[in-house]
Amino acid sequence: MRFTPTALTSDELALQSEVREFLADELPPGSHEPGLGMSARHDKAFSKKMAERGWVGMALPTEWGGSAKKAVDRFVVVEEMLRWGAPVGYHWVADRQTGNIINKFGTDEQKERFLAPICAGELGFSIGMSEPDSGSDLASVSTKAERDDGGWVVNGTKIWTSNAHTNDWFICLLRTTPTEEGANKREGLSQMLIDLHNTDGLEMGPIPFLNGEHHFNEVSFNDVFVPDENVVGQAGMGWNQNTTEMAYERGGPDRWLSPFSTVEQLLRETHGTEMNERVVEMFGEMAARWWGIRNMSLSVSRLIDDGQAPSIESSLVKEMGTRYEVELIEKLVELVDDELTLESESLFQRLLAQCVLTGPGNTIRGGTIEILRSVASKGLQGLPA
Amino acid sequence: MSMNNELPTVDALITDTADRLFGELCTHDAIQAAEDSGGAGDIWAAFAETGFPWVSLDADAGGSGGTLQDALEVLRLVGYHAAPIPAAETGILGGWLLSSAGLELPEGVVTVAPDAALTIDDNGAVNGTATMVPWGRSAERLAIVSNGHVASVRISEATSIVEQTSLAGEPRDTLRFDGAAGEVAPAPPGVDAEALRFRGALSRVAMIGGAIEKMSQLTVSYTNERMQFGRPVARFQAVQQHLVWAAQDAALARMVAETAGRIASVDGVAAARFEIAAAKLNANQAATRATKACHQAHGAMGMTQEYPLHHYSRRLWSWRTEYGGTREWSNWVGTTAIAQGADGLYPLITGGSTSL
Repeated sequence: MRFTPTALTSDELALQSEVREFLADELPPGSHEPGLGMSARHDKAFSKKMAERGWVGMALPTEWGGSAKKAVDRFVVVEEMLRWGAPVGYHWVADRQTGNIINKFGTDEQKERFLAPICAGELGFSIGMSEPDSGSDLASVSTKAERDDGGWVVNGTKIWTSNAHTNDWFICLLRTTPTEEGANKREGLSQMLIDLHNTDGLEMGPIPFLNGEHHFNEVSFNDVFVPDENVVGQAGMGWNQNTTEMAYERGGPDRWLSPFSTVEQLLRETHGTEMNERVVEMFGEMAARWWGIRNMSLSVSRLIDDGQAPSIESSLVKEMGTRYEVELIEKLVELVDDELTLESESLFQRLLAQCVLTGPGNTIRGGTIEILRSVASKGLQGLPA
Repeated sequence: MSMNNELPTVDALITDTADRLFGELCTHDAIQAAEDSGGAGDIWAAFAETGFPWVSLDADAGGSGGTLQDALEVLRLVGYHAAPIPAAETGILGGWLLSSAGLELPEGVVTVAPDAALTIDDNGAVNGTATMVPWGRSAERLAIVSNGHVASVRISEATSIVEQTSLAGEPRDTLRFDGAAGEVAPAPPGVDAEALRFRGALSRVAMIGGAIEKMSQLTVSYTNERMQFGRPVARFQAVQQHLVWAAQDAALARMVAETAGRIASVDGVAAARFEIAAAKLNANQAATRATKACHQAHGAMGMTQEYPLHHYSRRLWSWRTEYGGTREWSNWVGTTAIAQGADGLYPLITGGSTSL
């Protein structure tokens, strides 16, 4: 394991300036309610504007509508979007991972069908992994897909499916070969693309968030037919494909920037006032830590561009980054010492209230930090993950 | 894609040679013996023979040439091997002061007063009491910057030397000077107490990065050998947490050290002040977390003199407060960050000193 320091090239710095100008024009401070990193609002018009700039699906090949840019270019764009609290929710998952998976494992027909609308910012994806009896032990998924003429018949239930009600499609991990006693549970899994709103036998309902908000859904399948052309890659190889997906999902700016808009707003609202030493020290620790974590996270993107698969490194960064997000939220609450309400007149206080309510999810979503430690620890000891 | 993300790198010959040299010399017993006797003359002699102490100092001034980045790589290896020698003080700190001012580099050890408590008066005489002077007792010269001048005084000119040691058992002495005469030269621009403070911090960041990495590796191997409940303790999730956190902090400390070091090396220390301050703050905190994790994973064995963990953990406890602890640097970075205002905060995190 080695994180090699890297710096942005002049082209990448030019892209950074372009994104900053775009955001200053489109969403000047005070004109919008910033989100907390990737838990941003869904705004199809905004996604489309980004797509017009070539900033959605930017690492995908040009023949399918992408910009054939690098992982570092995407890093530059998304870190600016996230720190701004821009409404990137609608295209987020499709841009971060689903597009990559379809590009890597999909057929040309699938690429034509899905990548072009993804790159246009017109197709939002959710992820169908967890089930009632399958969370951290993902290989134990039991929603089954059984062979039928020209496709598969799916039965079972997915839960914690974020934004299934606002997105269009989802990519599901399904069991296509029943697990026999003592068999390797990682075999016999397949990834399939399923339309969330125009599929017979698919039902969906909210699992209200702890404060009543609607993010999570339960999606159930009752004899849902999935045609062969919607199977991604090779049937039975879903686990390996899914693991590849994780390398894209982990270690990016979305894993350490969630409270940034809150901190920036604190600075905006306290401008010109005398800060006590504890607050000054908090800003110091925060700026330094973000600078350090960012260098590591950027290094992971550069490794991906160099053709490596830094899965241990990205797990380490995600574990560290999300843990730091939670630590920072705790520190802010202690220092501010105010009674929080989501209805506060102060944007900073509204954001901090939202941070507190959503914070525990940061170290859970996309693989708990306990699972990440297990992956990273095997890597440190030279064992297979 | 332009190619200007090709960063300057360290000469592999330096890394290999220093790594091999320290690997042979800095054995558990040799480090212990240095602590017991207050010096490691033989390790120093072998180190000095290669010219390593004077890497990055101008060859015309008696240095070994090379870049600051090269010198920091040697210091990383000093940390990695817990080499009990005043490499930073003789080279990029004291040696830098002397060679920058055109004063002669002595053959032996040079040290500095980290607390900037010594003054050079208008007659060029040195006065004051400096505490926690690394290897004060065995140095040949002390380099001082004060009042727009650099002075080089013989240690033998000190009125008194009180021997003390750091938490790692390395000499950190108190030296008093009462009108000591030395060689004095005007300090060129950029050579002042603040620059020495930043350089000192940068030296410790490199050393901390090396020491955490070694400590992390030691902990992975120990927990894989140590059997309890019929299996290696590294198989337990609770222990794996310590391994992962230590490895994370090793990676973080090395990343910040190399990033700050590269910018300081290419653009100068004055152009890398945010990076050095942020790196020292990160390294100090990483040292705290990693020593805690590694000690916990080692159990009682890590608390013994017989087992080598303490060579690294005690150095980390010492280095994390040298040239500025967490409070000093969090104030510096915090004041700088707040001064950027809300709109300048993220540009500071991405652009560092170039955005100041």
